[in-house]
This record gives sequence, structure tokens and C-alpha cells, in this order.
Amino acid sequence: MYRLDKGRFDEFIRLLGREYRTYAPVRTAGRTGFAIVDSAGMIDTDVLVTDMSPKEIFFPPSETLFRYGRNGIKTDEVPERPIAVWGIRSCDVRSLSMLDRVFGSAVQMPEDDRFKDPYWNHRYGSSLLFGSACIDPSPTCFCNWFGGGPFNKDGMDVFTVDAGEYYLLEPVSGKGQEFIGGLACLAPAGESELDLVSAIAAEAASRMPEEEDLKEAGRKLSDIFDEPVWSELSAKCVNCGACTFCCPTCHCFDIQDESQGSEGRRVRIWDSCMFPIFTREASGHNPRALSKERVRQRIMHKYSYSLENYGEFLCTGCGRCVLVCPVNLDIRDVLRRLLHYRAEGKCNG
Amino acid sequence: MNVTAKLRETIRELFSADKVDVFLAWEEGSLPMSSTPLFITDGAQADRAIFDPRCGNNLSVYFTKDSRQFRGKRVGIAVKGCDARSLVLNIQENQVLRDMVVIVGVPCNGVIDGKKIRRRTGGKQVTEVMENGDSVTLKGPEFSITLDRSEVLSSSCLRCVHPDATEYDVFLGEARAEVGNENRRKALDEVEALSSAQRWERTRKEYEKCIRCYACRNVCPSCYCSECFVDQNDPQWIGGTCDVTDTVIFHLIRNLHVAGRCVECGACARACPMDIDLLLLNLKTAEEIKKRFGDTAGIRIDGRPVMAEFREDEKQEFIMG
Repeated sequence: MYRLDKGRFDEFIRLLGREYRTYAPVRTAGRTGFAIVDSAGMIDTDVLVTDMSPKEIFFPPSETLFRYGRNGIKTDEVPERPIAVWGIRSCDVRSLSMLDRVFGSAVQMPEDDRFKDPYWNHRYGSSLLFGSACIDPSPTCFCNWFGGGPFNKDGMDVFTVDAGEYYLLEPVSGKGQEFIGGLACLAPAGESELDLVSAIAAEAASRMPEEEDLKEAGRKLSDIFDEPVWSELSAKCVNCGACTFCCPTCHCFDIQDESQGSEGRRVRIWDSCMFPIFTREASGHNPRALSKERVRQRIMHKYSYSLENYGEFLCTGCGRCVLVCPVNLDIRDVLRRLLHYRAEGKCNG
Repeated sequence: MNVTAKLRETIRELFSADKVDVFLAWEEGSLPMSSTPLFITDGAQADRAIFDPRCGNNLSVYFTKDSRQFRGKRVGIAVKGCDARSLVLNIQENQVLRDMVVIVGVPCNGVIDGKKIRRRTGGKQVTEVMENGDSVTLKGPEFSITLDRSEVLSSSCLRCVHPDATEYDVFLGEARAEVGNENRRKALDEVEALSSAQRWERTRKEYEKCIRCYACRNVCPSCYCSECFVDQNDPQWIGGTCDVTDTVIFHLIRNLHVAGRCVECGACARACPMDIDLLLLNLKTAEEIKKRFGDTAGIRIDGRPVMAEFREDEKQEFIMG
């Protein structure tokens, strides 16, 4: 562990900026999201879960894949400096690892490069993630349902703890060690500082909600696929895509060509299983025509299909969907009700 | 008796007299300052219903949502002034049969916008919200902030001139008619004083935040086309990206589609996860329509939406010759 005095934080961020395009939580007109910073002053160090997730750094809402015209196809130039992210929370780091299974490492056919997404790989593959411990988890946090926790370090390169007067930095990966190893602005942490971290960690852990038993969630959900409970649960959903777009793990996209005359571009844009057009077929038939089917798809994908395909839930319990849902359809309540459905024998709304 | 108690009693009465099959109200939400829509199918569930400044959802949206789950049912519904106007508009447009609804008006003094609270607390989670007259106290694990009520009310409520239902079967209190509100004029004056370049700059800045989640459209009771123009892809009318050229087209077209039909309930702005000011343009459009046609959306049950009607004496200065 290393100690970074807050008086030298700006120096640290500037050093990081020499090698990396550094993203960090930034507040603009009251809203928070990740943006490129070149000084410590730009960073909002208070925000816990940003309004928009850092997914958009690596998988932007709309992105030009290539441009075409009479002279062939060309891709936009990509910045050479790799990406570093400061202040990313454990839930979001874990969500990036999940997305990497989809875009980056081609789980189904790992040897075949054709199934690895070059746009994702270029950004994520060389990134350096400074994860941030959650000192003060919020009532919407439920990462502990999925094996996470406020001091979880999975997927991080460097783990950081805000200890008041200073940050404590712990290298997690070789890449992380390599970067912070020789920095003059860091000092080795002493015994008392490590004790302080343990105390903060214990306090944070005590603020987490009771864990929900998700063992066999995948099977339980499959078993009730045809039950009427889905209609009851989806009745108040208005099928907007706010939950899916703020979600750090939702990754469905659409690809469209925009052409004018003999020139054009191919763009990749976020798509959502909440939208009617998402599954509408060329014939006009829509296999998920109703709200019930779309809500069920979203839940099944996150808590059942993803388990089958990747061995993990497609949810890290960040709580953003709970915050943004315009009708307060709380995914934690939805899950609880579904998982206890058989046991109760019927729904008690 | 407070409004919540009256509402519960009314719901119980409606079920015991077999007047409704389902009643739409609000209940406690899962977050401290939230409520959530509640569909009651049995009078015994009446005690779950609440009404207070957290109850922002315009429940009229559930009549026109694509699943049309209440078609053929006798529906009771609790409405604020704006929600009632949405319902009146839906009735005018033959989406809802007046005979099939029991409209229960609740006296409204404005609803809280949860996002404004989050902004004021710097994103810190509020665990308790206490109202005391004109002030609101927000409490969290390590803080307590007291704010003026106007700082956390939905922007639409701050400009509201029809707080109570104009069409109802039961009203839980004394329904007020149109009230004066200088905030409305102030907001308009502010935008009208800008040059067209400044207005465009402002518009661009707001709409470039859009992520195309369509929460604004989907919570809007006036937006109920079975196939929205943004969901058509043969032909595709607008680009699908989040470039401002695409997002601004979406919002401007939506604004025109709800011209004379928007009741300014503010549901769109409260639903927007990106905090876009969606209300100002609608306010300006509503004001233009009032000036030109003397009409306000969703007020008269026997009226028609202004864009669905033609009167010979209308100004037609745009027709040449």
C-alpha cells in the first residue's frame, strides 16, 4: 500500500495524464458522469455512483464504426494514449469485466479473433483502472447480492481508499504496480494507515443491505417463465429505456448506415430490449409485442441467460436503474418477488 | 381527515358499491422520497394508497400505454389537476370512455422532483424527507438540509395554473379553478428576450444531453401512437444516434406532436435521467396556442384538441393570396 497526500493529488493526476487519457467523475450542472480530466480540480471526489455509468467510456452511446465512399472504407483515427479511469467503483469495474466477456474475449470462441470487438478492445484492453473503495454505500447499493462489496477489488489495476487527508493506493494488477511503483508523489503506507483502512472497510460493510439468496436464481426464473406473475410485475413499467441505458452491464446495440449520395458511415448505437422495435421482424410480427415480454426478457437476460452463457449475473447491484426508473419499479423488489414466487404459491402484491 | 385517508375511504366505497374493477393510485415507493403507481383490484388493498407531494406520476398514461391493459374495465383513478387534464384529453380523443372511468380529484400543491433533491444533496442518499409548511428537510446518514419548498418542487408545478381537476366525479376537498402564477410569465419572458441565436444555443445545450431512452415519451399520456415515428424504420425518419442533429429533431417533432395536447404535467422532465429541461419548449408552445386559438389542452370535456379542429374564423394569414 502507498499513501498519496491530497496535497499532491493534482500532481498525481497530471502525471497520469502524461501517459493516459484520464477519465474521472465530473459534475456538470448537477449531473455526474465520467469525463476526461487534466487536473484534480475537475474531479468530483464525493460522488458515489455517477448518474451515467463508465460503460460509455468504453462503449459509447453512438459510435462511428467506419466511413465509406467511392474511395473505399476508412475508420476514424483512434487516439494513441490508452485510457485510465480514476474513481471508478467496484460495481462498475466488475461490470466492465462482464462486458469484456461479450465484446473482448469472445468466450464462445476464444481463439477466433473475428469475434473480438476491436473498438472495445482498443479502449478496454490497454486501460488502467483506479478503483475507489465505497466508504459510504447508498441505500440503493446491492452489490453484495452478486458477490461484490464496497471494498471489492476484482478487475481493478489499483485499489484506492479515500482516508480523509490522503488516499491509500494498493496495486492489484501487475500493470497497476508498474505504474505506481516508482512515483515520487507516493510514500509507503504505515501500520496506522492500514488499521484505518480496516476500520473504514468494516464500517462500510455494515451499511450494506441484507444479501438475497440468488443460488439457483437462473433455474427458478426459467421455471416460472409462463407464470402470470410477469404480467403483474410489468403492469406499471412504461417501457422506456432509462434503466437499460443507465445500466453499466446492458450492452445491446443496433447498427445503422447513414448515407448521403455516395458517402456514408456505419454507426453503432445503444439499443434497448424495452423498445418495441428491438424485436420487430421484417414481416411486422413482434415476438415481444407487450410490456410483459420485454420486462421478462430483461430480467431473464440478467439473472438467467447470462448465467447459462457466461456463468455470471449480468448485474452488479449498482442501483442506477432503481434511481432512474420513472415509475419506481425497483429491480430488487422484482427479483425478490420472482425468487420467492414458487414458495408462496401465489403472488401477494 | 387528510387526503390519503379520504382517498382510501373513497376507494373502499367504490369497490363496495361495485363501481370499479380497478383503481389507479400511488403507494409508498422503495426510496425515501418516492412513490410508485398502484393498481388496486380489491377494496381491501385500499390502505396501500397514498397521496402527498411524492406522488408525481401521471397515472393517465396507463390508459394509453401500448398494452392497453385496462380496456373494457371500469377504472377508478386518482388525479391531480394536470393528470385530470391528460385524462380529459384522452377522452376528447376517444382513447378513454368517460362512462368507464370514475375520476377522483385530489387537491395538489405541487409534487417533489426527486432529481432536484439529489442535486441539492450532491448525490448523497436521502433517507428521510420531512415537510413542514413551506420548507422541506432532507436527512441522510450524516447530514440534514432544510430547503424552501420551491427548490425541490417539479418545475412544472412552479408554473402551474390548474392545480386541481376541472373534470371529476369525486373531489377530495375543495377544487380550485384556474389560479394566477407569475412564474409562468417570468419563464416565458426570459426565453422570449433571447435572440434566436441564443435560443438555439440553449436548445442545443439541452438536447445534446439526450441519450434517446424515450422516458419522456413513454411517461407522457399524450404520446400514445401505436408506432412512434422514431420506431419506424421503413422509411426511417430520423437518425438513431445521440448526435445533437438527431436528438434535437426527435424533441422538436415530439413537441409539435403534442402541441395543443400537452397539459404541462412535467412527467417528461421528472422522468428524464439526463435532466434535460423539456418543459420550456412545451410551455412556449402552449402559450402560443392559447394566444392564437384561445384554448388550453384538456380543460373542457366537451372540447376537442385544438389541432384536431377547424374553425372558419381562424386566422389564416399563412395562406397566400
